[in-house]
Amino acid sequence: MSLLEGFAVAAQPMYLLFALGGVLVGTAVGVLPGIGPAMTVALLMPLTYSLEPTAAIIVFAGIYYGGMYGGSTTSILLNTPGESSSIVTALEGNRMAKAGRGAAALATAAVGSFIAGTIATVLLSFVAPYVAAFAVQIGPVEYVALMVVAFLTVGALLGSSVLRGLASLALGLFIATMGFDSLTAQQRYTFGSPFLADGIDVVLVAVALFAVGEALYVASRLRHGPIKVIPVTGGWTKWMRKEDWRRSWRPWLRGTAIGFPVGTIPAGGADVATFLSYASERKLAKGARKKQFGKGAIEGVAGPEAANNAAAAGVLVPLLTLGIPTTATAAMLLVAFQRYQIPVGPQLFENDSALVWALIASLYVGNLMLLVLNLPLVGIWVKILQIPRPYLYAGILVFAALGAFSVNFTPIDVIILLILGILGFFMRRYGYPVAPMVVGLILGPIFENQLRRSLAISQGDPVALVSSPIAAAIYVVLIIIFVLSFWMRKRQSAMEAETTADLEGGVDDGADTPRATVAQGGPDADGTSGAAPAGPGDPAESAHPGAAAGVPGAESAPGPDTVSGGAHSGASSTKNRKESP
Amino acid sequence: MSMSTSSPAGSGTAAAPGRPIGELIFALIVISVGVVGFVAGASIQTPPSASDIGPKAFPYLVSGMLVLVGAGLVIQLLRGGTGVPEEGEDVDPNIATDWATVGKLAGFVLLHSFLIVPLGWPVAAAVLFFGAAWSLGARPWFRNLITAIVLALVLQFVFAGLLGVSLPAGFLEGFGVFSG
Repeated sequence: MSLLEGFAVAAQPMYLLFALGGVLVGTAVGVLPGIGPAMTVALLMPLTYSLEPTAAIIVFAGIYYGGMYGGSTTSILLNTPGESSSIVTALEGNRMAKAGRGAAALATAAVGSFIAGTIATVLLSFVAPYVAAFAVQIGPVEYVALMVVAFLTVGALLGSSVLRGLASLALGLFIATMGFDSLTAQQRYTFGSPFLADGIDVVLVAVALFAVGEALYVASRLRHGPIKVIPVTGGWTKWMRKEDWRRSWRPWLRGTAIGFPVGTIPAGGADVATFLSYASERKLAKGARKKQFGKGAIEGVAGPEAANNAAAAGVLVPLLTLGIPTTATAAMLLVAFQRYQIPVGPQLFENDSALVWALIASLYVGNLMLLVLNLPLVGIWVKILQIPRPYLYAGILVFAALGAFSVNFTPIDVIILLILGILGFFMRRYGYPVAPMVVGLILGPIFENQLRRSLAISQGDPVALVSSPIAAAIYVVLIIIFVLSFWMRKRQSAMEAETTADLEGGVDDGADTPRATVAQGGPDADGTSGAAPAGPGDPAESAHPGAAAGVPGAESAPGPDTVSGGAHSGASSTKNRKESP
Repeated sequence: MSMSTSSPAGSGTAAAPGRPIGELIFALIVISVGVVGFVAGASIQTPPSASDIGPKAFPYLVSGMLVLVGAGLVIQLLRGGTGVPEEGEDVDPNIATDWATVGKLAGFVLLHSFLIVPLGWPVAAAVLFFGAAWSLGARPWFRNLITAIVLALVLQFVFAGLLGVSLPAGFLEGFGVFSG
């Protein structure tokens, strides 16, 4: 019933328009390299003060979801040597595009994202109230435990280096302590400067690190020359063949099943879910299809894309019910709630139920809009992808300066923006992730308050922090998460090495063999292959050569073939150079 | 981990021979922020009324974390564990750092901050866009200039005119559609 009321609000023409605006902006920033949803929410926050809270939150939710869709378009269509292939999960779509199957990759990503997003939003609508009802009962001690989990997972697990992640987190926490102490009104680390008395604004730090740092960093190593976007042809209704649907629907559902729960726990967010889905699809694939992994297997696009979107909805569970963000974008959404004086936490579903249900309803609506925006209208995003890079990064700087100036309408903030941006530049250069710093800055004050409340209750006895059964259980879960994620990271690097090795094999002899298979398999392979998709222990071993032939069939088209051949040899020379010394 | 597939081994060393030193300086800065945290934290007053651990404890905790993590980083660096520079679609891992462009961009942001008040936001923004696009290699200059002016006016119109953000309009002060 509450959800229906939410729909009644979200379906008002004005809010539909705001949702459309949000998903448009979100998809655009998802498509464009160099900017992400976290930065966009940060930038728009000072610029949307004149909006009422519901409208603003709907816009931000649209940006959040839209960013998830846009990213796949870039990784599939942008032909950048090196980078896109370094993320295994982004690799399959790019390989498909190079083999002339970009349209199918885009379609399976968009439809999979829609299905996963919708199912995950349904799960969110049902799970969140229960979690909130449970969360109302927990006290400051448990909050401290939950936030320790969030800090450590975001800090230690998001980047590639644990120490660098923790350093970034600690820098964020340090900036968070600057300014007046909220409980005793004492000045801390203001160094006598009136500009530091109120602390440094979160929006300023986020925009500086995400936007200015990124622009400076890219400028230091800008890839020159034309932007190679792989063209997509044909009407969008014909993008996916029957065969593609048959091979995609199970990965979509599996991806959703993996993504949503992983999103709800603070375990590194969408990246982890994406990787888990990719790994399981690869494991479940059999015979010739398994060999396709690393060369453009549609399951390797369908599953991870679905998992990515399901995780995005999952992340909203701890955010809306506990007020604990587990990704940078979720952290910025939390700031948006704070700006509008909406206390996020267990009480949100009771006190602001109209707003929260309107938000959830707008997620359903936004998903539908995104499906339309990403299938028939994908051409727009391809054009956006081709914006000349000097203009793109100059524009990012202008927007960042605009956002910074609008925080307090003082040029000093633009100078602080620049200083923090230079910090962000060096962090990127030296491999420090910036997201933990932003999360630390946002959660720091809340964490300190809860910590001090806990210790005030226990009269300074720190043992109280771990003696509550729930808190103790949370710490045990933290240890389990850590052990699991280190194990997973090992698996991930093993798999990346394996895929790289596969690719090298594929470059030397594999690049030609699929074409040979096509000659034997022929286009009628569709019928045989569909009979046996990835069922465990299926007796259809004989169907697999045909199944493989279905996709490389596209490779025999004359145009894309040359593209893929050229790219393959380019990659191989890079890799050989790496291994020779 | 993700290094394995990208940047060939030669590039890392060729592109930035000074990186370990730079990284070491960064790690030392992390430590020194922690040290400053302890020194400046000593002067934080704890009011006698404070019933809890007071305003000092958490800053000390964070400062301790900075010192410990920074020291860990220094040790890691001395043992040869350098960081993995971030990758991106527009980042070419094989070319040397272009410090001149970074400097020009930072300079134009600084210039922008000084121009907002005397000349108004649209002019300052157009200067920033024009300068940044030029620094990043966009040519010809008149196309950059036209783009910069159009962008600045559109932003001023949308954010000041439509959304009511108080951006100083400068020479456009008299026109209602451009002022917040």
